Amino acid sequence: MIVNGVAIEDTFAEAFGMRATRILVTALNLKWAYHAARTMTGLATSVIGCGCEAGIERELSPEDTPDGRPGLSVLLFAVSSRELAKQVERRVGQCVLTAPTSAAFAGIDGEPINLGRNLRFFGDGYQMSKVIGGKRYWRVPVMDGEFLCEETTGMVRAVGGGNFLVLATGQVQALTACEAAIEAMSKVTGAIMPFPGGIVRSGSKVGSKYRTLSASTNDAYCPTLRGAVDSALPSEVGAVLEIVIDGLTEADVRNAMRAGIKAVCAVGGAGGIRSVSAGNYGGKLGQFHFQLREVLT
Amino acid sequence: MSALAFTLRQAPAQTVDLSPLTPDKLAARTREEVARIELTCGNRKLRAAELFEISGDGRSESVVFRASSDRMTCIGARMQGGAITVEGDCGAYAGLGLRSGRIVVHGSVGAFAGSGMRAGTIEVRGNAGDFAGAALPGDKQGMRGGSIVIGGSAGERLGDRMRRGIILVRGDAGAFCGSRMLAGTILISGRVGESAGFGLKHGSLLLAHPPAELPATFQDCGVHALLFLTLLEKQLQREGRPFHDFLPLTTRVRRYCGDLAAGGKGEILLTPTQ
Repeated sequence: MIVNGVAIEDTFAEAFGMRATRILVTALNLKWAYHAARTMTGLATSVIGCGCEAGIERELSPEDTPDGRPGLSVLLFAVSSRELAKQVERRVGQCVLTAPTSAAFAGIDGEPINLGRNLRFFGDGYQMSKVIGGKRYWRVPVMDGEFLCEETTGMVRAVGGGNFLVLATGQVQALTACEAAIEAMSKVTGAIMPFPGGIVRSGSKVGSKYRTLSASTNDAYCPTLRGAVDSALPSEVGAVLEIVIDGLTEADVRNAMRAGIKAVCAVGGAGGIRSVSAGNYGGKLGQFHFQLREVLT
Repeated sequence: MSALAFTLRQAPAQTVDLSPLTPDKLAARTREEVARIELTCGNRKLRAAELFEISGDGRSESVVFRASSDRMTCIGARMQGGAITVEGDCGAYAGLGLRSGRIVVHGSVGAFAGSGMRAGTIEVRGNAGDFAGAALPGDKQGMRGGSIVIGGSAGERLGDRMRRGIILVRGDAGAFCGSRMLAGTILISGRVGESAGFGLKHGSLLLAHPPAELPATFQDCGVHALLFLTLLEKQLQREGRPFHDFLPLTTRVRRYCGDLAAGGKGEILLTPTQ
């Protein structure tokens, strides 16, 4: 399958079941909502070393937020419900509670996990609860007024680790295509791309020659090792970049992959893109398989 | 399916407990069975048919009392669901221990309306007697959830020992409004009598007009835009009538914390110009 000079390889992305939540972060203006949300989703690229994967899903207009202020929708993914709850509490407590004018609300229905239930104790006894519309909110006194936080947010089963690889003639060409992909994918709701700018250059394989490491560089896709290993790269490929997608549902991941791959194909062979591939583990580890050619149809 | 209607033949000589006549309790009964229900009137038992003309469908989820008598008590008490309309006044304990559903009283209600209620809505288009949403004597807590909307004025001790929920009053409230409140929200569009918030432990009193005097156990915390009031305003918008009558809500308020004699974790919120 070739689209605009880009070969779509006959392979699939392998993704895993995860637990996820959506949190709405609001503030006096979008600038401070971004400060809070970007801090909250910082160091959240991979569950391997960060505990969770997180990202900003989309901007929210005042009409879309519970408190009528501008805000952002944030998605967090973790491998277990316990880890997700721990990460939510830690990140909201350290990054949203601390940000001027901010507030945090549940953004999805599901099994309840703590949002402000324990953060309220920062109020040292001066915190106040309000049940409004059947939901409990905590008013925690802070130095700029009150931090308002919903008691719980919903946790749902989700899909993490959807991905595709962009094989290009060089770094600039690969990055240009991936930037276009991220721009298109950011319009898809229910999905985030957790790596810096949504793009990852350090694709990994399982295992390492070093016993302490569970993962190491994906040497088959490293262009500088083409002559040293059993390389998956043809001679004209000079750089590979990967986009990893976490979604609330299988369809969300599929939609984001489709939007991204189409944007890459729009750059096309003329833009230095040679092919699109995907990372998998032979289909034995992940419960979700996204065949690239099916995703595009 | 027309509502099951009870039209009072004549006012009873003593107060009558109408708690058996709620939609959830009548749902599985025919009209003949409903007519045979025993009601406690003073120290006697009366059949429902002796007191009321009964019309409509027993399977309906709504009950209408076409009557106006302060001797009709406990209307909708411990109701689990459905709707009750009273086309006139009724007596004490309306909506006592209400669990779910809606009670609309076109006239006024007696004392202890909504006492111990846990959920649902009581709308009183006229006035409410003393102790609306308050604890019964001996009870530790008053209203524990749901909402009471009073179109007229409320009597004394509104929300005494209230634990959760919201009470909204278009008119005035009597003395000791929100006394000994444990939590919850009371909004008064009119004026309040003396000693508002006496013994307030937690909870919020939103007053459109400042009380004639505030005791020294309430301390000024300054003027603030409180975000939870925006949430409350949006909720009132969602609820529709009669909650709309209280909009717009002032979200920038002067906060007095108190009652410091009872821990000081409650608050009286006033519009900042006052």
